Amino acid sequence: YERVGADVTMKCGSMDWDAAVTWTVNGTDIDESHLNGSYLILKNVGLSQSGQYACYEGSSWHLKYQTFLRVGTPPKEPVLMCRSNNYPKGFYCSWHLPTPTYIPNTFNISVVHGTKDMVCEKDATPKNRCHIRYIQLFSTVKYKVTLTVTNPLGKNFTTLTFDEFAIVKPDPPESVVAKPVPNNPRRLEVSWQNPSSWPEPESFPLKFFLRYRPLILDQWQHVELSDGTSHTITDAYAGKEYIIQVAAKDNDIGTWSDWSVAVHATPWTEEPKHLTTEAQITETTSASTSSFMAPPTTKICDKGAVVGSGAVAVCWTAGLVVAAYSVLFI
Amino acid sequence: MAAADSPSTALRRRDLCSRGIRLAGKMRADVVDLLDTYVEQQGLDASASVAAVEGVPVAAVERWDEQTGTQRLLENLAAYRAFRALLAQMLEEQREQLGEADAGLGRALAAVLLQVSAFAYHLEELLRLESRGIPGEEEDGPPPPPRLSLFEQKLRGLGVLRELAQWAVRSARDLRQLAKPSPATGTAPGLAESP
Repeated sequence: YERVGADVTMKCGSMDWDAAVTWTVNGTDIDESHLNGSYLILKNVGLSQSGQYACYEGSSWHLKYQTFLRVGTPPKEPVLMCRSNNYPKGFYCSWHLPTPTYIPNTFNISVVHGTKDMVCEKDATPKNRCHIRYIQLFSTVKYKVTLTVTNPLGKNFTTLTFDEFAIVKPDPPESVVAKPVPNNPRRLEVSWQNPSSWPEPESFPLKFFLRYRPLILDQWQHVELSDGTSHTITDAYAGKEYIIQVAAKDNDIGTWSDWSVAVHATPWTEEPKHLTTEAQITETTSASTSSFMAPPTTKICDKGAVVGSGAVAVCWTAGLVVAAYSVLFI
Repeated sequence: MAAADSPSTALRRRDLCSRGIRLAGKMRADVVDLLDTYVEQQGLDASASVAAVEGVPVAAVERWDEQTGTQRLLENLAAYRAFRALLAQMLEEQREQLGEADAGLGRALAAVLLQVSAFAYHLEELLRLESRGIPGEEEDGPPPPPRLSLFEQKLRGLGVLRELAQWAVRSARDLRQLAKPSPATGTAPGLAESP
């Protein structure tokens, strides 16, 4: 194992310095310019110089020496994160290196609670993760987690100190569903479920944060809900497609989850009615002057086109509406 | 204890539990605010580690999920009675130290003391519902602790408030456990005497 940038000298086993030898790397001969007598000199090694190096006696072509060179770097300070998404059962810690070392690394993790050592059991998958069960609950004593990473070229470590409540962060809510409400052009019914990883929602209830906006706008609306797993949005813009997300947090402690997967929904809009012949003719003339919000179908009772966003137009008879349009636009 | 609750008992218990949970929530919010004020006004370092102070009930508990309802009530009651005395003492010390100069802190302490007393009362009511004898409060209590230096008093105060904040969270959880209806008998789980 050698560090990137190091100068490497390889001796051909027990051969004298002035012996005639041939060096190969991965089966390919190495040019004599890299030799100092029978020593192979590699200056400022790079990652591409990793490989199988072999040295053969000049004439007999006997293999005298062989080694596998691995070029890498010592580990930088690892990145460590601990979180409890299954409070009050326990928590997990996961880690990674900010830059690869290109050689094998070993990770060692220690968890101390006050004076007590705790065992963090390594997970099979993902590999750089371990979990630990809480022995005590409601403790003010902090946890100290130290992660040490070692490889043949060096070692490094990082420490995290936290208290029980601070790392509680549930997974996002699951199965978020948003549906239009029949006959209600400004409503959307949203429902979701507690994340399945949260073990005891009755004793450790979650509260929720809902955010929604029409696709065409950037500003989110927010609603915080202290209980229940459903909510009806009552101020949706008629006919507009919405994007909706939900987040969760323990009622008392910890931080908000990430946002759930986004769902899309459009509030209910009325089905196109059958038009009379007269209405059809007059409707065609006014159709071209409808506002940009009009949906593409030529509906007589077009709520989207009437009086700006969100207004609910009461459907009079077809003739009356058409008459109003004619007055406004002709 | 009777094998099954009368409907009115079950209702009263649920009512007391939900009120208690709300009270615990408010208490915690107030204690957390008080902690910030206390740390600032007493010139302490918020991240200071305070060793377990004698006489301060520690909220940390092992096998919390295995506790019976009665255990929960008794432990909570003992804790809040202790906090009542500790907060009263803190108020006293605070008045001695600062007189009128720190009325805000004094008022906040008094408000929390009131909530602690109210909560203790709630717990006593719940125990009464279970036809449990309420443990009497010791007449004299433990001997008064030796006079602490001003700094030690402040650190102790920090420890008291921190543990109280933890207890407030724990108590809400305890009451939620108590309020859960048991599937078989209709009584809250764990309230039966353990054999």
